[in-house]
Amino acid sequence: MIGYGGTILRVNLTDGKLTKEPTPAQLARDFIGGRGFGIYFLFKEVPKGADPLGPENKLIISTGPFSGMMVPGAGKCDWTTKSPLTGGYADASMGGHFTAEMKYAGLDTIILEGASSTPVYLFIDNDKIQLLDASSLWGKGAIDVEVELKHKYGEEYQIAAIGPGGENMVLYACINHDFGRQAGRGGVGAVMGSKKVKAIVIHGTKSVPVADLEGYRKAGMALYKACKDAEGLAEWSRYGTTVVTSWCDEVGALPTRNFSAGSFEQGPGLYGQTMRKEIVITDKGCFGCPSPCGKYSNMKRYNTQVEGPEYETIGMMGSNLGVGDIQAVAEANRLADDLGIDSISAGSCIGWAMECYEKGIFTKADTDGLELKFGNIEAVFAMIRKIAYREGKLGDLLAQGTKRAAQQVGKGTEKFAIQVKGMEQSAYATHNATAMLLAYMTCDVGAHHNRSWAITYDLQVGREKVVPEKVERVIWLQNFRPMFDVMGSCRLQWVELGIDRDLYCPALEAITGVKRTWQDLEAVGNRIWSLSRMYWVRENDGFGRDWDLPSPRFYTEPPKTGVTAGQITRFEDVHKLLDMYYEQRGWDANGIPTQGTLETLNLSALVA
Amino acid sequence: MMSAIIRPLGMLKSYIGDLEETTIEAGIPVREALTTLGINPDLVAGVFVNGEQESKDYILQDGDVVKLLAVIGGG
Repeated sequence: MIGYGGTILRVNLTDGKLTKEPTPAQLARDFIGGRGFGIYFLFKEVPKGADPLGPENKLIISTGPFSGMMVPGAGKCDWTTKSPLTGGYADASMGGHFTAEMKYAGLDTIILEGASSTPVYLFIDNDKIQLLDASSLWGKGAIDVEVELKHKYGEEYQIAAIGPGGENMVLYACINHDFGRQAGRGGVGAVMGSKKVKAIVIHGTKSVPVADLEGYRKAGMALYKACKDAEGLAEWSRYGTTVVTSWCDEVGALPTRNFSAGSFEQGPGLYGQTMRKEIVITDKGCFGCPSPCGKYSNMKRYNTQVEGPEYETIGMMGSNLGVGDIQAVAEANRLADDLGIDSISAGSCIGWAMECYEKGIFTKADTDGLELKFGNIEAVFAMIRKIAYREGKLGDLLAQGTKRAAQQVGKGTEKFAIQVKGMEQSAYATHNATAMLLAYMTCDVGAHHNRSWAITYDLQVGREKVVPEKVERVIWLQNFRPMFDVMGSCRLQWVELGIDRDLYCPALEAITGVKRTWQDLEAVGNRIWSLSRMYWVRENDGFGRDWDLPSPRFYTEPPKTGVTAGQITRFEDVHKLLDMYYEQRGWDANGIPTQGTLETLNLSALVA
Repeated sequence: MMSAIIRPLGMLKSYIGDLEETTIEAGIPVREALTTLGINPDLVAGVFVNGEQESKDYILQDGDVVKLLAVIGGG
């Protein structure tokens, strides 16, 4: 199939059967690839009510038409599953080099089905596909496993692996790749662990047919030239996502002490400039990246190295835990990566537990003797390990995420569990940033930022305003930005370098032979968004408006310190935002897509 | 006059009449310079002085070249 690998690989872990089937042309036409393929297979093939950690659930890994091609940042693949953390739709986008090898092995999608009774790893070298014994790898850290498998097979083989967190089915376990890239959110690593798959090793050398070779060359070169000519290329490349740390602190968006504030008095110790001077060794990019945002850091105090930390980890394991030391945050990052747990959810869970401890709800009897106060980095390191191994009562509790943990503890702790739909909110404080708050409330996986990073729009038009334009912006971003996860390339060249997004369309046409405008692509994004919404509806009795509510902290507890001190979003505005959002989406007043909307989006047959 | 060169990037250029750069007297914090130029400091994600990121409290020195990165190009 033009522009694609052409093959779907099914791996049945229960009986070891490996099956290949051609990628359906209609699937490529309607859902293009990546997370579009993911939600299609999830909705169609995983039975209603499936246990996310049972053999009925599937882990669906998909490339897109840009994956592995001459397109900036074409190193993205998407991991889709029913989330054990939320019980709803989850997909996690992963950078690095895995997706290119997958494409060159001729694979558009790998579907892991069933469950193995013993630890295995999946080995793919073009058409040689095997399930191999992983008993000697089980129990090891994800980074250690990657090192071991690289030594065994060679540098050209790419590896994705889980750590102990995935093995122990921590509900927000992640999948690690390329010594520091993750499919991070929603518990995709726990699903891989439930199937007893420790790792995937992949290598491919096949060529990918394109529709118009000369057009592809020209369009690809135009994209790279736009990146090379971008005014901010040197600055974004030098600091990566950490550029925004100081800005978030200045505008009250830096999560501080479990989101009780948005500015951190020790913030400068975490800023990008501090990190660059103190710990960064070199820059690192993913496949085909002209603007490497990855940073390798050396932590002299601990004699360790890590790729990172990214802004999200700095926010969630730094200021959110009262830690103002970038070297300590980097070490926490390394531990989370190697043990295989999502640093965003882990930071939020530990922050929630610290608040419980400081309020006297937890005592040392609950924490195995840990002085679990904000700022105690040794306690943070200890809790990361306890969570990954589900060690002790608190480790096991926090391994379930803040929503479940707060439900079990009670005593009002639900009010400061910072989550939506069971997923912990990533690193933007939203006490008074209504577009970003709405983005978190309505995100298709839970409180994640990457679909609609609308906080900049709050600053642009007035953060407290509750106006239709903000809702339009959030919806536009939700339809548009995830299309990069569909096509298999990174969005940061558009976000950071500001290249003209229309440059992508000729590349897509030259690769696939199908002409699409951004209007066409956003229509696909809209279809995927509403299908993922219907997945939540199908899997959760009583799903509706209440599931979209944010943490009460953002409408009941104004920060006492920082630039947002005294500021808050009114509860009636929370509902006003939802009213406008549902109306603009074509959903009913309870947030369910109407029949008319499903018909317009050509989804009626699929969801029937 | 001791002065620094200010180079807003992307849409921030619109605040200085779509020019590539302007000069401003040194000796004041970047934040004050932004206000003087009519640029809302909250819309500036990064301040880069001679290639290195600095805070908006940085005091401009004679001959500094300051690049300003916008936050609102993304979203």
